[in-house]
Amino acid sequence: MEENYNPVYKDKSYGQYRELSYSYQDGGKFEKTVGFHDETDRLVLQQAWDLFRERIEDARQRVLAGKASPVVYYMEKNLLDPLNLSMMAGISLWRVKWHFKPNVFKRLSAKTLQKYAEAFNITIDQLKKVD
Amino acid sequence: MVKLEFEHRQAGHCESGVTRNLLNYHNFKISEPMAFGIGAGLFFSYLPFLKMQHAPTTSFRVWPGQVFDRATKELGVKTNIHTFRNPKDSMEKLNAVLEQGYPVGLQVGTFHLPFFPPEYRMHYNMHNMIVYGHDNGNYYISDTLMEHLVEINYEDLMRVRFAKGAFAPQGRMYYPTHVPTDIDIRPAIVKGIRKTANNMVGIPFPIIGVKGIRYLAGRMRKWEKRLGPEKASYYLGQVLRMEEEVGTAGAGFRFIYGAFLEEASVVLNQPWLKELSIEMGENANKWREFSYLGSRNCKKRGKPDQSYDFLADILLEVADREEKIFKKLSTIK
Repeated sequence: MEENYNPVYKDKSYGQYRELSYSYQDGGKFEKTVGFHDETDRLVLQQAWDLFRERIEDARQRVLAGKASPVVYYMEKNLLDPLNLSMMAGISLWRVKWHFKPNVFKRLSAKTLQKYAEAFNITIDQLKKVD
Repeated sequence: MVKLEFEHRQAGHCESGVTRNLLNYHNFKISEPMAFGIGAGLFFSYLPFLKMQHAPTTSFRVWPGQVFDRATKELGVKTNIHTFRNPKDSMEKLNAVLEQGYPVGLQVGTFHLPFFPPEYRMHYNMHNMIVYGHDNGNYYISDTLMEHLVEINYEDLMRVRFAKGAFAPQGRMYYPTHVPTDIDIRPAIVKGIRKTANNMVGIPFPIIGVKGIRYLAGRMRKWEKRLGPEKASYYLGQVLRMEEEVGTAGAGFRFIYGAFLEEASVVLNQPWLKELSIEMGENANKWREFSYLGSRNCKKRGKPDQSYDFLADILLEVADREEKIFKKLSTIK
């Protein structure tokens, strides 16, 4: 834990909250301190967000190239994986994966599209294209 | 409209902090490490088949909800726990309980939680917080992760209580209704320690407890070969995130547990627990060293003192230490 706010994250809104953590000093003393993230925390959190950004951008490119359906893009944008998406939308896992194909996605019924739209918290029109 | 007189205190771990704060409200003073220890919260498991954020799950804690359940049960505190199918019902029940004058603990998902620090907004459905009042569709929240009290509106609260996905909270709410005035915490401490010791060294299953740490060490050595450097370092990062980030107060709860042992040695008047608390503190510092070196590995690969083999050796050493500690603890009377 560090005492002063140290803006090392790529996103400026990260790491601004002070948290409580415990530590141990030699001689048998456990201490409570309140402070900002230290370098270990920042590195591993930044690693996760780097991967998410990479996956979102990759999915966007694949959708624009016509190799994947917008479901893939919105799934990555909401930090989901197929299993979690199937639980959220109430659609079985193999059907979710089937809907990753652009041609299959075009033929989806309004009812299924509505399920995805609700899971991603957007409208059906937004779901049909990537931003 | 209700707004209870609630004392907000920050805590290292959300669930034991919530347990502590709720019991404090009912005039039973207990520290956070104590609530954590009696609830037998310490654990280790490595689940390679359950992926979370694209990497295997490592858990340093027991199943969500167990710390509160166990701690209140062992202390003889009467509680009510509800889960719901219908979101509207759950909000009505919440309002009714608040009107009766009880602050309520809630299990929520963190992805849509508006006041949460943005760097933590991933899909994690095991967060806990307390509601201590409401006013015209606005709810007053005491979240032990945050330094200050916060507020949330009706729609947002309903959404986070019914977050879907793995470990969905289903609107789970819990609150103590009756706290006896003459609680003897000594038998509860002994039972909590025994339960934790059994979880760590007593279960003959390779991915749980001390065996789980050794299993993770074995898998870690093969990561780079099997997955390639990129993915291997992400997998390692996932272990560290579970160890340091998700409300563990550092070193995967080992610091909290050491503080608990220190306190228990005074309450039970058993000095040997104090020695074990020192060993636990050194063990926790070893975990901390593991995460320090591991995070350097995530940043830049290739240095010999941060290789996967080296990190796995640290894990094996930690496993030996913990086995020694918990074997001794399992003999407590």
